Amino acid sequence: MSDLMIRTEHITKDYPGTRALEDISLSFGSGQVHALVGKNGSGKSTLVKIFAGAIKPTSGNFYLNDEKLHFNATSDAYDKGIVTVYQEMSLVPGLSVAENIFLGRLPQKYSSIDWRKTYKMAGVLLKKMKLDVDPREKVSRLSMWQSQVVEITKALSFNPKVILLDEPTSSLAQNEVQSLFEAVRALRDQGVVVIYITHKLQELPQIADTVTVLRDGRLIGSVEMDEVEHKDIIHMMFGEVKVQSRPKDIQIQDDIVMEVKGLSREGWFKDVSFSLRRGEVLGIAGMLGSGRTELLHGIFGADRVDRGEVIIEGKTYKRANPIKMKNAGIGLTPENRKKEGLILIHSIMDNLCYASMNITDNGWVENKGRRAEFASRQVRELEIKVPDIKAACSSLSGGNQQKVVVGNWLNTSPKIMLYDEPSRGIDVNAKQQIFEIMWTQARKGVSTVFVSTELEELLEVCHRILIMRHGKIVAEVNPDAVSINELYETCMRGD
Amino acid sequence: MENAAAGRQVFNQKRVGLFLLDHIMEVFLIALIVGLTFGAHGFMTWDNWMNILRSNSLRGVIALGMTMVIIAGQIDLSIGSTVALAGVIVARSCRDLTPLGVDINLAAVIGMVLSLAVAVLFGWMHGSLVHRAGMPSFIITLASKFGLYGLAAIISGGYPIANQFPDWFNQIGGGRVGGQDGVPIAAIILIVAFLIVLFIMNNTTTGRATYAVGGNPESARLSGINVGKTIVFALVIVQVMAVISGFMTSGQVMAGSYSFGFGWELDVIAAVIIGGTSFLGGIGTVWGTLLGIVFMGVITNGMTLLNFDIYTQYIVRAVIMALAVLVSSYRAKVKA
Repeated sequence: MSDLMIRTEHITKDYPGTRALEDISLSFGSGQVHALVGKNGSGKSTLVKIFAGAIKPTSGNFYLNDEKLHFNATSDAYDKGIVTVYQEMSLVPGLSVAENIFLGRLPQKYSSIDWRKTYKMAGVLLKKMKLDVDPREKVSRLSMWQSQVVEITKALSFNPKVILLDEPTSSLAQNEVQSLFEAVRALRDQGVVVIYITHKLQELPQIADTVTVLRDGRLIGSVEMDEVEHKDIIHMMFGEVKVQSRPKDIQIQDDIVMEVKGLSREGWFKDVSFSLRRGEVLGIAGMLGSGRTELLHGIFGADRVDRGEVIIEGKTYKRANPIKMKNAGIGLTPENRKKEGLILIHSIMDNLCYASMNITDNGWVENKGRRAEFASRQVRELEIKVPDIKAACSSLSGGNQQKVVVGNWLNTSPKIMLYDEPSRGIDVNAKQQIFEIMWTQARKGVSTVFVSTELEELLEVCHRILIMRHGKIVAEVNPDAVSINELYETCMRGD
Repeated sequence: MENAAAGRQVFNQKRVGLFLLDHIMEVFLIALIVGLTFGAHGFMTWDNWMNILRSNSLRGVIALGMTMVIIAGQIDLSIGSTVALAGVIVARSCRDLTPLGVDINLAAVIGMVLSLAVAVLFGWMHGSLVHRAGMPSFIITLASKFGLYGLAAIISGGYPIANQFPDWFNQIGGGRVGGQDGVPIAAIILIVAFLIVLFIMNNTTTGRATYAVGGNPESARLSGINVGKTIVFALVIVQVMAVISGFMTSGQVMAGSYSFGFGWELDVIAAVIIGGTSFLGGIGTVWGTLLGIVFMGVITNGMTLLNFDIYTQYIVRAVIMALAVLVSSYRAKVKA
């Protein structure tokens, strides 16, 4: 197979107010796996979207071999042989592997489906990918990594020249990752340009031939994998970070508000113990799949726990539920604010008062006046930008929606706030405002548990950071005594 | 500056449009009433209006309960069978207890309490199965529809049980306050039920919780709202409403029969949906349902006055329902 090359020249992408990519010139050749890395907001997904035809660059061009590419739609990218495999599964669980691979283009014979040919073609492709699965098997019966490989096989069935794999291991267990790598290597040996987007640095030595690092929309460098060390890549990703310091006046008080003792949930987290002081901002650093979200849900009583207890101000809770924990003084802002934190079709005012209904109302009967008061107090104090407090919550921007979720809980006058990835998908300004809210609450004596994958944030905001890996607290660090690179190392260390 | 002004104007236009969309049923209803006043002889009379109210209150009270159920994101298909069962239980109780020396009034009350207890039990069971076992309410209540229908047929022995009720029981469905031309008691019950459900949905924590649970059960749960209790409450209320309707229905006919209420669930759901309640849950008003009930009553009455045959009436109702859902889908799209 002839050599292929996808290449960009001076690509820039502007969004209103921000520059997502600036002057990116790089090239990826066939026969190699090219890792594309960068932290959230580095621009790597913007670049992927340009290759996939989902968006157009503001300026600059990109080429496949020497042909200049112009994509108006994602189908144009397919036509040119550039296929993207996204991390969300797009397979239909109830259909067979073969049907999924050829969905919408099943071979026909006498105007009915030619099953024999379908299964045969699928079998050939699966063999190329070294996946030992019967094409007649239903996808719902496959394991996660097998489904992921079927997804890649489906991409391969388009006879692509370039395949982009967007975080393909994000939903896989440790042992499944190796099997997926086998498939990726098989793909590479087909002579396809493989671009592998990831944030898991420990995977790179195993799978990548080259590494390309983006940071803040700029190309930091493209290097051969065997020429760099782990810490070089981390340095490229983060650069010289100037971590902002938290206000000095927030004092942790001596009394312990919450104690978590030996909390365990089979398959998610194990023997988690820590204590939280009044006014303290405690960070929990952990990558996706480390069990941090499940831990917060466990503390809050939203999901079951198998063992362990939570002690709040001397009172022990073993089989908790959100209603009990709310009354005990805990609030939780969930990771997925749209699906778990808000009722998007309802008004901003309603959304600000759902958790505090038992406080605003006179027993069973609503007190509309007090409810309006509570809602407008949060709008004012959290500086939520609302056109109309009665407008649907779906009309707000991400940052303002997040503030509504926070406000909903602050209305319950909590003693402890649990924040699960509060800064995901919101702009820098809103992020800073969310941190300000945490500090303001800390000054009032509210304790905070702050879970994040963004380690700089934790360094900036927290008094103390716990590191969670594979469901266990593995280390505790003092943010004033550790650098971002050291923190990242501890989080990512594969063991 | 210019942009801001233009933006505001668009915004205002959008608001006027939304206001019209939100109140489109009122507009249609008024147009319909005006049209029928001039087009259909005998429409705009006291007698006719009382007649409309009386005949539509039977299903109307259930529609009010169903509004709560649908807003909570659930459905109850069994209410027709509950209507039949309530009448049959009271009739059996009157017929079989009086020979044993029980006072006829007491016998009727025993029957009423018994049917209410059965309804509460079924509502509670429906809600618990939805919440604890994760079963869809569509399926559970479909099963109950058949089960309760069979139960009503067995209890009644397969025949209507006529002329067993004490007179005051017959009055619940057929009586009037203020003599021959007075206000039907059934209509008064509808209005009282309307006010109660309106108060629950607009002025109580349970009402707010019902909207929240239907709007997004997971967010509601994580806000510390008792999702199970809320669903059970709505499913119990609709069953209680069906029992009250069963009393009115059997009282109006002075008999209990297992065939009463057959197929009503669809009429009731139609009234709720025409009233603007979203079938996806979380959105809807009690006022809208009252409009839906009156709208369906007026149009049926008008068509009868205009000598439309019954089959044409079905087609007209079908078109209206499709249009109503189209309007509310469009409204949801505009607002999103």
